[in-house]
Amino acid sequence: MATTARIFGNKRVGFGQWVIYALIGIAGLFYGTPLAWLFLAGTRSGSSLDSDPPFTFGSFEQMAQSWANLASFNDFQILNWALNSLIYSVGGVTLSLIACIPAGYALATSDFPGRRVILILTLVAMITPSQSIVLPIFLEMNLIGLNNTYLGLILATGFFPFGVYLAYIHFSDSPPKGVLDSARIDGCSRYQLFTHIALPLARPIVSLVAFFSFLANWSNYYLAVVLLSDDKIYNLPVGLTALVSGSGALTNLAATGMPIKKPEVILAAILVILPVLVVFLIAQRFVRSGMLSGAEKG
Amino acid sequence: MAKVELKGVAKSFGAVRVLDPIDLCVEPGEFVAFVGPSGSGKSTLLRMIAGLESVSEGDVLIGGEEVTFAEPSERGTAMVFQSYALYPHMNVYDNIAFNLRLAKRPKSEIDAQVREAARTLRLEDLLERSPAQLSGGQRQRVAIGRAIVRHPKVFLFDEPLSNLDAALRVQMRLEIARLHREIGATMIYVTHDQVEAMTLADRIVALDDGAIQQTGAPLDLYARPSNRFVAGFIGSPKMNFIPAEVIDGTRAGVGLRLHAGDGTSFGLGALKSAKAGPVSVGVRPEAIRLHIAGGTPPAGTLEIPARVDSVERLGNVTYTYIDVGSDELLTVQSGGDVQLKSGDQALAAIQPESFHVFDAAGKTILSASAAPART
Ligand SMILES: Nc1ncnc2c1ncn2[C@@H]1O[C@H](COP(=O)(O)OP(=O)(O)OP(=O)(O)O)[C@@H](O)[C@H]1O
Ligand SMILES: [Mg+2]
Repeated sequence: MATTARIFGNKRVGFGQWVIYALIGIAGLFYGTPLAWLFLAGTRSGSSLDSDPPFTFGSFEQMAQSWANLASFNDFQILNWALNSLIYSVGGVTLSLIACIPAGYALATSDFPGRRVILILTLVAMITPSQSIVLPIFLEMNLIGLNNTYLGLILATGFFPFGVYLAYIHFSDSPPKGVLDSARIDGCSRYQLFTHIALPLARPIVSLVAFFSFLANWSNYYLAVVLLSDDKIYNLPVGLTALVSGSGALTNLAATGMPIKKPEVILAAILVILPVLVVFLIAQRFVRSGMLSGAEKG
Repeated sequence: MAKVELKGVAKSFGAVRVLDPIDLCVEPGEFVAFVGPSGSGKSTLLRMIAGLESVSEGDVLIGGEEVTFAEPSERGTAMVFQSYALYPHMNVYDNIAFNLRLAKRPKSEIDAQVREAARTLRLEDLLERSPAQLSGGQRQRVAIGRAIVRHPKVFLFDEPLSNLDAALRVQMRLEIARLHREIGATMIYVTHDQVEAMTLADRIVALDDGAIQQTGAPLDLYARPSNRFVAGFIGSPKMNFIPAEVIDGTRAGVGLRLHAGDGTSFGLGALKSAKAGPVSVGVRPEAIRLHIAGGTPPAGTLEIPARVDSVERLGNVTYTYIDVGSDELLTVQSGGDVQLKSGDQALAAIQPESFHVFDAAGKTILSASAAPART
């Protein structure tokens, strides 16, 4: 703040500063354009999309119309998929939080046999592309009869090594050792140490893990498309993909008669992105440091 | 109030031995200070008493009970840390009440205890604040409050004042002394500040290099240090050391030659060991007097020619640093002002009775017999 005030207040914007602003501007334009296009395109009609300049604003009536078309599909099945997505996401986030936060804490604070091995395995699992284990997961779920169920997908997505690693990093230096020591003297058992001290101070990392887990679950396509075969329990990405490819909206095949065209597809894409934005805005308020201020000298 | 006994307590981190076996008995109600330079193992020893660090060898007994392997909370100890270590997500009240709540005490009792501790420590107006909204001194008082409400058998302090500024440190030092008077609990206090140790403790345990160098009342350690380490560590400004040599010795007395000035030699009473060879001679800064060359010294006084290097005037006391031709400058402490300036020639007058003599290994072979001359 102070620096900004100084720079602008005294109009001392040097060459280096200009380069930085220029770079930020170019990057913002480059990466922001597709998003801006997407949100604008949601308001446009099919013919407008085909012929008007890229950044034309259509009309809200057009948007409502596209929405009605999208919603009318199969008795508002989109809403059903959105609800399913919510179930999968809430389930997956909850499960991964229950697993990741204590696991990271244990890895960071206690020394038990196999700790190093588990840490290495966590890293390996973290960098393994999830697509590469979709088939074994499918076979496993098949074996225990959880294929094509809510529980199956939730259980599979509860495995979130990235979250374990984030929590591990966090708990490696928080709470400060002195705080844990004094809690031990105050009479905390190992379990209470976690619930009374470490967990209440871990709000930033819990929010962060929850957000990343939500992101992964909400946009989970690959695993879902393999595990789910009944369209009643599709999540949004799978459902919308099925809808779009079924309608032929993006191909130049003969029209199928469904009112699903480009505008509807664009709206569907917005539908997937919007909740992520909302959740991010909520989560980032908690992902802030400052939880520890006052614990120690400072 | 409880007795704390350490029987052959030693500590190794892996293959590294940081504390040699230590035997120590802290009497009920006693205030003992562990002093020593950084890395001497003071905190480690204290943490082993608290149960925060495992004991590699030996036994720890508190109140006659063997607690070597007991959990920290089962030992009846409370600890105050250098870093305060408050719970940042709880307000002052909850910080102090935390251990009572864990012990599932009734609400009314908790409230009474917390308010009493707050009164003792003058925290009443701060109970609703979060630790982040407190000053360093207030935070440390909360940490002490947290310890008081446990009614511990033993209070453990690990450099509780070293993060505070000088004025606050003096004030908190007095508060800790008052606390000890009022509740009379056994207290063990780690510090590397020898002023705190001298003023607070009934007994000082001087640690160096993972071993107890000397245990005793503060003024005992000051007057009769058992080795060169203690002699140099206790007392401020620190004792001056001058290399010297035993030139002839009998059981009744020895001759010593100082490696200073023009090689002044003088006789002293019997040393514990009178082998000829290198020794070092220690003299407290207040046992040296400076005067301008000329006058006749009182009989028996040793006079060493010196050059004044620098003078520090603090008003009530003056420190003069003089060069007598030995390895290091000597510090001279005198009351009031001195009429000397940098570069002046002077004579440093010392009563030989105020010399401590240490052998080559640092062990005391003669303690000063004269009380340090007061000026
Ligand atoms: N967890 C540990 N692992 C290995 N060595 C340790 C550990 N904790 C302390 N030590 C070593 O033990 C020795 C004593 O440490 P300790 O903290 O007790 O010193 P101290 O006297 O309290 O010093 P200070 O005045 O700096 O606090 C030091 O040499 C330190 O490096
Ligand atoms: Mg220490």
